[in-house]
Amino acid sequence: MKVFTILKKDINILLEHFLKNFRVFGPIKPGLDSTFNEITSIKQLHLDYTSTVLPPKKFFHPPKEALFSFEIKNGKYANQEIKSNEKILILGIHPCDVHALLRLDKFFSDEYQDIYYQNRRKNAVIVALNCVEPSEYSFCMSMGTGPFLNEGYDILLTDIGTEYLLETGTNLGNQIIEGLKLKKATDTSFQEKKRRLKLTEKKFKKFMDTTWLPKIAQENLDHEVWIKLGERGGVGDSFPCLSCGSCTFVCPTCYCYDIYDKLDLSLEKGVRVRELDSCQLLEYGEVALGENFRRERKDRIRHWMLCKFAAAAGGKNSSCVGCGRCIRVCPSKIDITKVAKELRGWL
Amino acid sequence: MINEYFPNLANIKEIIKETNNTNTYILEFFDKKLSNDFSWTPGQFMMLGIPGIGESAISISNTQNGNLIYLTIRNVGNVTNYMSNMKKGESINIRGPYGMGWPLEIAKGKDIIIVAGGMGIAPLRGLINHIINNRKNYGYLEIIYGARTPDDMIFKYEFNNWNKIKNSTLHLTADQVLSETPFECKIGLVTSCFPMMKTHHRNAITLICGPEIMMRYAAKCLETIGFADEQIYLSLERRMKCGIGKCGHCQIGSKFVCKDGPVFNYADIKPFIRPL
Repeated sequence: MKVFTILKKDINILLEHFLKNFRVFGPIKPGLDSTFNEITSIKQLHLDYTSTVLPPKKFFHPPKEALFSFEIKNGKYANQEIKSNEKILILGIHPCDVHALLRLDKFFSDEYQDIYYQNRRKNAVIVALNCVEPSEYSFCMSMGTGPFLNEGYDILLTDIGTEYLLETGTNLGNQIIEGLKLKKATDTSFQEKKRRLKLTEKKFKKFMDTTWLPKIAQENLDHEVWIKLGERGGVGDSFPCLSCGSCTFVCPTCYCYDIYDKLDLSLEKGVRVRELDSCQLLEYGEVALGENFRRERKDRIRHWMLCKFAAAAGGKNSSCVGCGRCIRVCPSKIDITKVAKELRGWL
Repeated sequence: MINEYFPNLANIKEIIKETNNTNTYILEFFDKKLSNDFSWTPGQFMMLGIPGIGESAISISNTQNGNLIYLTIRNVGNVTNYMSNMKKGESINIRGPYGMGWPLEIAKGKDIIIVAGGMGIAPLRGLINHIINNRKNYGYLEIIYGARTPDDMIFKYEFNNWNKIKNSTLHLTADQVLSETPFECKIGLVTSCFPMMKTHHRNAITLICGPEIMMRYAAKCLETIGFADEQIYLSLERRMKCGIGKCGHCQIGSKFVCKDGPVFNYADIKPFIRPL
């Protein structure tokens, strides 16, 4: 694989090169928070971000999408598939989010295939950006998903002062940068990368010990931490869970969705829609005649925590990558790292 | 690549009225290839959809000639209520079959106790038929079927056949018996039939399906009379949206009910079934 360097002020050349062949999405900063959005000029791009509100999951497993359309004509149904083959490039994804995508890749391609996710994933180029300024909430180092990336990228950028180190990870990555005049990287650039990695590792404020965590979580279903989380007390300095579902919507590995039919006003045609769902909402575990398998709030927050500790049905594929988004958005200040600690009996 | 979410059209060949709110629909795929390739094991389910209304997971109660699919449906929700007004010859969407069925291999050579409550007999009917067709492979058969009233019982036309199965007993029980019934029916819960069982737990396997509360009590009672958790299998109910282990709604512990179930060994899921 090839290694180059590119001056920070020349990043617009790279962007313009990408824009020739792809729709480019990247981090922008419209207000106080950053978000991934379509980039059409260098002015919008904001590569010095710490974390975005929503993970780049939204490009592959969108909050809402139509699966297929159908027509109801004189009592006969005809289904029609919707397909799209748009090529996109995502610029500046941090390692935690790339790892989350790798996990979703595994999840959506086991046993049964999810053609919609895979189709979008196949048509996307990942230009990752190593994280040198972790947010105060992130703990990717503990989860083995950061701060620097080793896999899952087509092109990887690393901030090494006045320049970016540009590494390609796949043949596709090599093809994309063909035709660009880039400087070959030297040993000093690599040394600088190593130095930056060490510096970044020292900046983390949150940690989580994952040894045996799935097993510990599975075997402590009646632990008092769940009562504290769901009913009274809270964990650390948090309040009990409000079941708002914010954590699930910002989580880069949460995959749960709802499927429903949306009928046109004419009642003759409609679409089958899938929309992200949250295990924190009451309706999630409901079945016919009103029986609910997770009626208690503590059951629901326990389920989410187990899922993130790799102890639920998704296994490691839906487990935490340590991006810290859920800690940031939680109105009750629930901190997953503190829950893990308390579960181990360390608090 | 196959799009698993994309349903296939099926024709309603026949409707059998079971009770005043339950019908059995006999379906056949329009697509001849799909129809001929259809294969299933008892305990599996189909995703049945009506465009504009939604989808619902329904277990297969029987098949005929390998391509006619029997789905027994009680109208309790949006999809099933709409179904109850459908007529012979209309078409609906189905996809599947999904899930793992009853443990037919493990049950070989063992005495079999079938405990069903209400609509829970639907996924077990296929199993009973399988046992009738392969009678030599299985030991004593005990069928315990309970419902709210004898009128709520489904597959009443099968009771005579089930009574005639060699080496078997059929216990029918209802919470309330208000009028005379054409078949012998006790009063009580399914668990009240356990003392009358002729089967010993030594070499037996229990297969239960019904409302979750009934399954919990049945499993608990079986434990007290000497059954090990590993000898008990339950078929669970969840509101499935995808049927292929992706939407997450049916998770129980570290399993998906749709993909790893709906039939589970009691030992695997015991901690996740709410305590009594």
